[in-house]
Amino acid sequence: MIRTIFKKELLETLRDRRTIITMIVIPTMIFPLIMTVFFKVSDNFTKEASEKTVQIGIVSEEGNSRFIPALQSLPKELGKRAIHVYSDTAQLRNDIGSDSVQIGFFIPSNYAAVFDSSSQVSLRVYYNATKVGMKERAKVLMEAVQTQVKAYRYNKLRIDARQLEPVVAEYENVASVKETVGKLVGGFLPYLFIAFGFMGCMYPAIDLFTGEKERGTLETLLTAPASRWQILIGKMGVVVLSGLIAASFTMLGIFLTIEVFDIIQDPKILDVIHQVLTLKFVLMFYLLLIPLIIFFAGVMIPIAVYAKTFKEAQSIIAPMNAVIVLPAMVGFFPGIELNMTTACIPVVNIVLATKELIAGTLQMPYVLLSFGIMLALASLSIMFSYKRFGKEGNLVT
Amino acid sequence: MIRVEHLKKEFVLTRKLQKELATKDKVAKAVNDVSFECQPGRIFSLLGPNGAGKTTTMRMLSTLFIPTGGKIEVAGIDAIAEPEEARKKIGFLTGSTGLYARLTPNELIKYFADLYGVSKQDFEQRKNHLYDLLDMHEFQHKRIGKLSTGMKQKVSICRTMIHDPEVVIFDEPTSGLDVITAENIIQLIRDCKEQQKTVIFSSHIMSEVDLLCDDLAIIDKGNMVYSGTMEDFRSQMQSKNLTSEFIRLINENRAS
Repeated sequence: MIRTIFKKELLETLRDRRTIITMIVIPTMIFPLIMTVFFKVSDNFTKEASEKTVQIGIVSEEGNSRFIPALQSLPKELGKRAIHVYSDTAQLRNDIGSDSVQIGFFIPSNYAAVFDSSSQVSLRVYYNATKVGMKERAKVLMEAVQTQVKAYRYNKLRIDARQLEPVVAEYENVASVKETVGKLVGGFLPYLFIAFGFMGCMYPAIDLFTGEKERGTLETLLTAPASRWQILIGKMGVVVLSGLIAASFTMLGIFLTIEVFDIIQDPKILDVIHQVLTLKFVLMFYLLLIPLIIFFAGVMIPIAVYAKTFKEAQSIIAPMNAVIVLPAMVGFFPGIELNMTTACIPVVNIVLATKELIAGTLQMPYVLLSFGIMLALASLSIMFSYKRFGKEGNLVT
Repeated sequence: MIRVEHLKKEFVLTRKLQKELATKDKVAKAVNDVSFECQPGRIFSLLGPNGAGKTTTMRMLSTLFIPTGGKIEVAGIDAIAEPEEARKKIGFLTGSTGLYARLTPNELIKYFADLYGVSKQDFEQRKNHLYDLLDMHEFQHKRIGKLSTGMKQKVSICRTMIHDPEVVIFDEPTSGLDVITAENIIQLIRDCKEQQKTVIFSSHIMSEVDLLCDDLAIIDKGNMVYSGTMEDFRSQMQSKNLTSEFIRLINENRAS
């Protein structure tokens, strides 16, 4: 009986254009789109930053003796530069404000004196914080000038630079690239799966419960010799499957991004992704995802059963997206890990477990705890759905 | 056969409903102590104005609602204790019956046949018979959403009869249909009678009742106002026609 109901509901669901779009089309397209936009923007930004000639304005009270030649002599790798000499800082500040100049320096008259004395001098550096990256460019230039001045002093004082830096630290990352990537950005993937898993459940849940009530077909179905349990499980099965299909198509989107569209070309990133996306990862991931999607379905169904119209159901469930899926964003923050406490927080536990799975640092006791918590919640949500579905007032309009 | 004894149905009123109905009562009595019997081969009509409790009674007979009190026996089965068994014997059709627009008539009929556990052989036989009878062959593969109201009504009839029910419940079956489409339903009710099925239909259209029924019960505000054969009803009439008599009985009940 459940199979008969499941088969029919699935057939109907797969013929619903709106469901197909949210369950298959959007999840498949979203990752390639995000990646295309991300790499395009980031490429353009890097290209623009490296190719852009930074206009530098200088007000120099020491004339053209030391600072300007030093700036001109810096290697090209530090970015293209054009230097403009100003007579006063007011005009320089104005030009930085209007972005005709990006960085400004005020060189005091005693600047040249620091070369031949042991004194210190302050240079004022002007920049516009709304122009991203300019402060960093100014810092790079200043560090290069500082190094030149230091070298001059060491040479003059006949000091070996090593004498002033007796200890040199050599930092070595013991985490694998996979672990680093997993811990730092691994939260993004489960967020996508969870968000689309939720979206994938939403329309079928509304359509199969509220929609059927609204269209007047539920009454007929309830007079057939199927128990409410069987009807609920048959329908719920399709809602859960739709959520899993949406998550699977998100995964297909990732696969297409990497293997077909060649959007990611950095061999290091590709290597990490290949290390992550193994059969074991996929199996473990589904193990974690299934109770979560059942929980989603179990939360949506009572609402869909209670609502009298498609619109009403949609207006309640859509905002829930934010409440339930937002915790998934916790995975974006580096440093938050799966432990005894976080394993007990629904949704967050699945995100963190997936993150650890990507990083390859999964600890089985916490995973089992997360799985158990989600399984218990999924069971409760099924019971609650059944209770609501059994209420006469919810079944007919 | 359908046997109903002292049937009652009360609905708990939520605060929202109390406000809507402008009452402080915690429960609303939709059906109160209703008893009647429908015999095989006879057409029983449940009459009443809007809000009389007809649909609630029909929903209890079809096991959709659980009665607050009383007994319902459908084809010898206690419909309250064994609702799923009773449902196997029932065909249920309402005027507001919706159909799955994304399925074809073939898919829909097969779905309900499977739900009722109809064997493959019986299914093919009955489907062909009903398709011939209702002239459905031409549109059997079209999506239901694209069919006309008349075609949809034929699909509904076929869906109701595919498991060859002993008892057929029609809740205002012609409501909202034009006369041509309604004629299919009238014919179906007559066919059911000929096949010695137990037929109960609710209506507030006296001409339909006059045309079809052998026995009738009139209810108003959940209470039984009249129960007997159509023949007796006609012979006891104090008004010039059926509609006037129906109105007279309702008014008399409300006045008392």
